[in-house]
Amino acid sequence: MIQNKERFLANVASRLSRTEVLTERPSRNWNYRPQDKTLTDKTQDELVDILRDQCRLIHTELIETDSSGLPEVLAETVAAYGGGPLAIWQDHRYDAFGLREQLATWPNQGIDVHEWDPSIGHDNIGIVEQANIGITFSDITLAESGTVVLFSGEGKGRTVSLLPHKYIALVPKSTIVPRMTQAAQRISKQVQDGEAIASCINFITGPSNSADIEMNLVVGVHGPVKAAYIVIEDR
Amino acid sequence: MRVTLFATCIVDMFQSDVGIATVELLERLGCDIVFPTGQVCCGQPAYNSGYVEDAKKAMKKMIATFEDAEVIVTPSGSCATMFKDYQHVFQDDPVWRPRAERLAEKTYELTEFIVDVLKIEDVGAKLEGIATYHPSCHMTRLLGVKDAPMKLLSHVKGLEMQPLPNAQNCCGFGGTFSVKMGNISEQMVDEKVDSVTETKASYLIGADGGCLMNIGGRMQRRGKPVKVMHIAEVLNSR
Amino acid sequence: MAMKIGNEKFKDNVNKQMEDTFMRGAVAGAQERLRTRRLDAAEELGNWEEWRSHGEEIRQHTLDHLDYYLQELSENLQKRGGHVFFAATAEEANDYVKGIVKEKRAKKILKAKSMVTEEIGLNGVLEQEGCDVIETDLGEYILQLDDHDPPSHIVTPALHKNKEQIKDVFTEKLDYKLTSKPEELALHAREKLRQEFLQADIGITGCNFAIAESGSVGLVTNEGNAGMVSDLPDTQICVMGMERIVPTFEEFEVLVGLLTRSAVGQKLTSYITALTGPRTAEEADGPSEFHLVIVDNGRSGILGTEFQSVLQCIRCAACINVCPVYRHIGGHSYNSIYPGPIGAVLTPLLGGYDDFKELPYASTLCAACTDACPVKIPLHQLLHRHRQVIVEREGRAPISEKMAMKAFGIGASSNPLYAAGSKMASSVMKPFTKDETISKGPGPLKAWTEIRDFPAPNKERFRDWFKQHEKESGKL
Repeated sequence: MIQNKERFLANVASRLSRTEVLTERPSRNWNYRPQDKTLTDKTQDELVDILRDQCRLIHTELIETDSSGLPEVLAETVAAYGGGPLAIWQDHRYDAFGLREQLATWPNQGIDVHEWDPSIGHDNIGIVEQANIGITFSDITLAESGTVVLFSGEGKGRTVSLLPHKYIALVPKSTIVPRMTQAAQRISKQVQDGEAIASCINFITGPSNSADIEMNLVVGVHGPVKAAYIVIEDR
Repeated sequence: MRVTLFATCIVDMFQSDVGIATVELLERLGCDIVFPTGQVCCGQPAYNSGYVEDAKKAMKKMIATFEDAEVIVTPSGSCATMFKDYQHVFQDDPVWRPRAERLAEKTYELTEFIVDVLKIEDVGAKLEGIATYHPSCHMTRLLGVKDAPMKLLSHVKGLEMQPLPNAQNCCGFGGTFSVKMGNISEQMVDEKVDSVTETKASYLIGADGGCLMNIGGRMQRRGKPVKVMHIAEVLNSR
Repeated sequence: MAMKIGNEKFKDNVNKQMEDTFMRGAVAGAQERLRTRRLDAAEELGNWEEWRSHGEEIRQHTLDHLDYYLQELSENLQKRGGHVFFAATAEEANDYVKGIVKEKRAKKILKAKSMVTEEIGLNGVLEQEGCDVIETDLGEYILQLDDHDPPSHIVTPALHKNKEQIKDVFTEKLDYKLTSKPEELALHAREKLRQEFLQADIGITGCNFAIAESGSVGLVTNEGNAGMVSDLPDTQICVMGMERIVPTFEEFEVLVGLLTRSAVGQKLTSYITALTGPRTAEEADGPSEFHLVIVDNGRSGILGTEFQSVLQCIRCAACINVCPVYRHIGGHSYNSIYPGPIGAVLTPLLGGYDDFKELPYASTLCAACTDACPVKIPLHQLLHRHRQVIVEREGRAPISEKMAMKAFGIGASSNPLYAAGSKMASSVMKPFTKDETISKGPGPLKAWTEIRDFPAPNKERFRDWFKQHEKESGKL
């Protein structure tokens, strides 16, 4: 439902010296487009270098591996972060990246794994809230800022990256783009193509933090207190 | 080169030494100085206080006085900025706007003129001691003259320049602000005086009479033994 | 609390605030850090001026076509199942939110930092309805616990408080028993608020930028509290100032980058979230109901005027972080939730000159604000324009000043008068002069000489010297 629109917009239009509300999309002819030449000349390997440097600034551990080494690296990272309980997405990429076996192994070691289950609705939240570590894939990764972009969806609860005490993002190297520009262009294209974009798109850059007390940086406020990105060579 | 001097009212009434130094310096650099006696104040005190219509009277007088000049040079970044702003003040005035635009094109702040027009960085000056430089706000931010003063000062023999902490902060002058908001102005100028003291400089150099009057007046009141010098006086020291 | 945060006169407020030495030290320290971080973050990009120009053209374009983009935004959000309410006034906005609260029988309401909800005084209205309204941004949370101390900065609202004061507030209100270490204080707040998040009925956020093409709302935080507020409660309400909108994700990206670099010197903050309507049928978290309240509250009165560019503001506080006046008087002196240069321009426009006509004079017009603004708002020019309006259109200037300026106009534009005046100055000032210095001046000089010495007028004016000089050099 939209309420009070006509009166409100008529007033705005009249303030802009129009007799009627503009209904035709205005053309956007920008004189400046600095984003087109920012980091756009970098190779994929150079982008990984940029991402690695940036992760140091955002208090985020960056670990590099390939598909075959991934299960072990992930298991080590989980152990270093204090083990379970774990919360993960319901996501075919765990299979594609050969993690199914590891996911089955953890419970035998006393590490609970909760895979997001749309059928239990809001009950997911209570379980995820108790998790020590949330693990998700990154849908797009921004090298410049060290940001993982997550699209919410059926098996992809938005709270998995937010409520657990620590967070691990699995970053296929192919998802790395120069900066937010490329992510924005991809999302905008989806919109123009008439596709429905995710109801929640999260751009996450390291652990949560605050400088509200005497400008002292405190890492870990409402969201995770620690974060790690595992970059996976995937092509 | 024939240079028409816009001395500024502060120099005319309170800082004639700065005017004299400017003339001697420019003459030494080969300029022929003209001083139109019709010049008054650029109008900034009234303009900045919101009295635009009252200020316009002084502005028109200044345009008429200076419009035949080849180049106009003034030893004040702030007053040069005001001259350049006339075209905006008269933007809806078909008669005065073009005249103001022509005025703006040929107006230069002193150090900008020496470095950019005369293409001189070493004026052969000599002054022994430690100095610090206060970059005035209008000159650096609005006029965009940032590097010329330091270029010139770096060639003054015997002068050791110390950077001024928080140099970018305004000294608290702001024309009528200095009396209208006297208590805030006091805190601002005090911080500036403290910064100057911190450098252990014996000279405070600036390129704007208003700021120097403010900082200098406060330093004198607080008994600080720092000599305040306009950059024209420094460059005219031999 | 609404936009106006006190009833004291500006001068009294300033005098009181300037005695707060902790606040002044904190502000100066924060300014230095934030300024340096911003400059570093700008430097990194290499072509900051180009980014600023792009930011400016995006904001100008959006404002010039605001009716179109608001229409597009509302229709796209509706398609995604969201509700949109256009509120002309603070009262309309508050009533709408109150209506939802009543319908949901909500008791616990969680909020993420939002300047516009401060401006319309939403918290007070909801508290009157018997709701428990909890701010979740750490700074706002501290202020709320401290009996609703007003914010003094638009990005770091508790800037004026030190950690000892914060510890005392926590001890009194939260039964806190640990030290004043920021880590321990923050951890305590995390634990307290975590429970609140899980029990909240309604989440209320502001909106950094809405995105017209998709009907999305963009939120920018470092703490992750906006995520908590939007993910957990079943009903979400976003309140946005009507100008906080961009055409597409492409412009969103540009402005977010300008915002985070200018506000805190980060390439991006830890959490940037684009929300598009309620959760879908397949999703298990996120709100089932999503409301967007678009607030005018005086903004349309600025549109189409000489002050329109102030609506370009993206609330980064870069101007506040460089302002030498804010540095000494702090945020509370402005008597408005919008302090500093942006506040001195915006507050009188939204709140009127009756209460706020001193603010445009709380500036030396040094233009540090204009220089710092990532979307190139000519802040010092707008402050000047306010003065012109106050003097010439509103006729609110003091009579004595008017007379003086009138005299200035006549004196400065007339040769004989200027010549006579400047010639007489030296002898007129003689009684006040000692050692070429005036330390207790008469009339308008009184205020000057209360603080500083004033030079005695030259015995010989420069123009007299020049005449002599010309004679001596044989030109005359």
